[in-house]
Amino acid sequence: MTALPHVLVAEDNELVSGAMRVLFEETGHRVSTAPSIEETVRVASSDAVDLLLLDLGLVDGDGLEVLSRLRALDALPRIAVALTGRDEPEVVARCRAMGCHAVLLKPVPARELLRMAREWLAARD
Amino acid sequence: MHRLDAPSTPLTQSTAPDVRVAMLEAQLRQAHEHIAELEASDGVKAQFLANISHDLRTPLTAVITHAEILRDGILGTLSPRQLESINGIINGGRQLLGQVGEILTYARGAADQLTVVPSQFDLSDVVAQICALNESLASRKGVTLVSDVPADLERVTADRQKIAHILGNLLGNAIDFTPAGGRVWVTARFVATDVERQCLVEVGDTGIGIDAEHHELVFREFAQVDSSASRPHHGTGLGLTIARRLVELHGGRIWLESGLGEGSRFFFTIPYVTF
Repeated sequence: MTALPHVLVAEDNELVSGAMRVLFEETGHRVSTAPSIEETVRVASSDAVDLLLLDLGLVDGDGLEVLSRLRALDALPRIAVALTGRDEPEVVARCRAMGCHAVLLKPVPARELLRMAREWLAARD
Repeated sequence: MHRLDAPSTPLTQSTAPDVRVAMLEAQLRQAHEHIAELEASDGVKAQFLANISHDLRTPLTAVITHAEILRDGILGTLSPRQLESINGIINGGRQLLGQVGEILTYARGAADQLTVVPSQFDLSDVVAQICALNESLASRKGVTLVSDVPADLERVTADRQKIAHILGNLLGNAIDFTPAGGRVWVTARFVATDVERQCLVEVGDTGIGIDAEHHELVFREFAQVDSSASRPHHGTGLGLTIARRLVELHGGRIWLESGLGEGSRFFFTIPYVTF
């Protein structure tokens, strides 16, 4: 049996991470959630992540810090995608520079997010 | 409220000139301080508005995502009536999200946090895109929506997203204020003035029109000419304020020609080279 892809939702709002958990668990993924940089780094470095959905505003600071810390630990997720409420060009550029595969403006339609996630995960298999 | 303090000694002709100058200078300094305080307080309010509208998006995201999970049958098939109800939640949520987005744009504009990110693009593409987005709203209202932008119109250099935003706001308003059977149109062409060439965009309608005395008022924030509770047109009241801000950010101008009962024609310009 193939292991289910591991999706880590780094999001400080439980309502949003709860919705993501339902969406991805019900469609054949294993889901972890983390509200902070610390917790995201802890989970990702102990349990390899296939897809990281990264909110930029985490409780303890800038979500992109997760990527620099995971890079230093050699524990980057296979795919990192930024989910943000702000679509200013400089935000998008910063996410790209930090290695985000895509930058999505919240709320991404559920169906659309699922379709993209499946594509990304299949492409990297 | 700030008030300039009256000078403790009245300024009279008999006061020595250097004393008078010193007193006037002191008053001027005080006035400058008060202006700075007011500007700072305005900045704090704009920042607050930007933060709060950003924060409102998060729970809305959760509401919409949960509803979409249900709608898409991820948790099981829904009956047609359940689907109708879920679609109501999604549409309401997205409408609210759009309004929160407008407040956010307005607040960023007020806090001078908006920047133009220019690129070269075909205006006809943007007009087609915005018309397509508004087509169903127009047909639901029984309003005819037409656009006339030459396919070979020169490309414009501007912030594509912001031009789309301006057009969206003007077109949304035009449809909103035009009764069934009416017409709404969008045209664009290049015109030359004494100093420069610019692209002139028009969004017109055969709707209720705006009395000349209210032409400036409609661009003010939170203004609707008829502010009675029973007004049939809803929105944040920020659409035209934002449109004006975005046009001016490009170095362009926005104005209207209209009279009560005569429909409205909104015009804006995009300077040929602004960056």
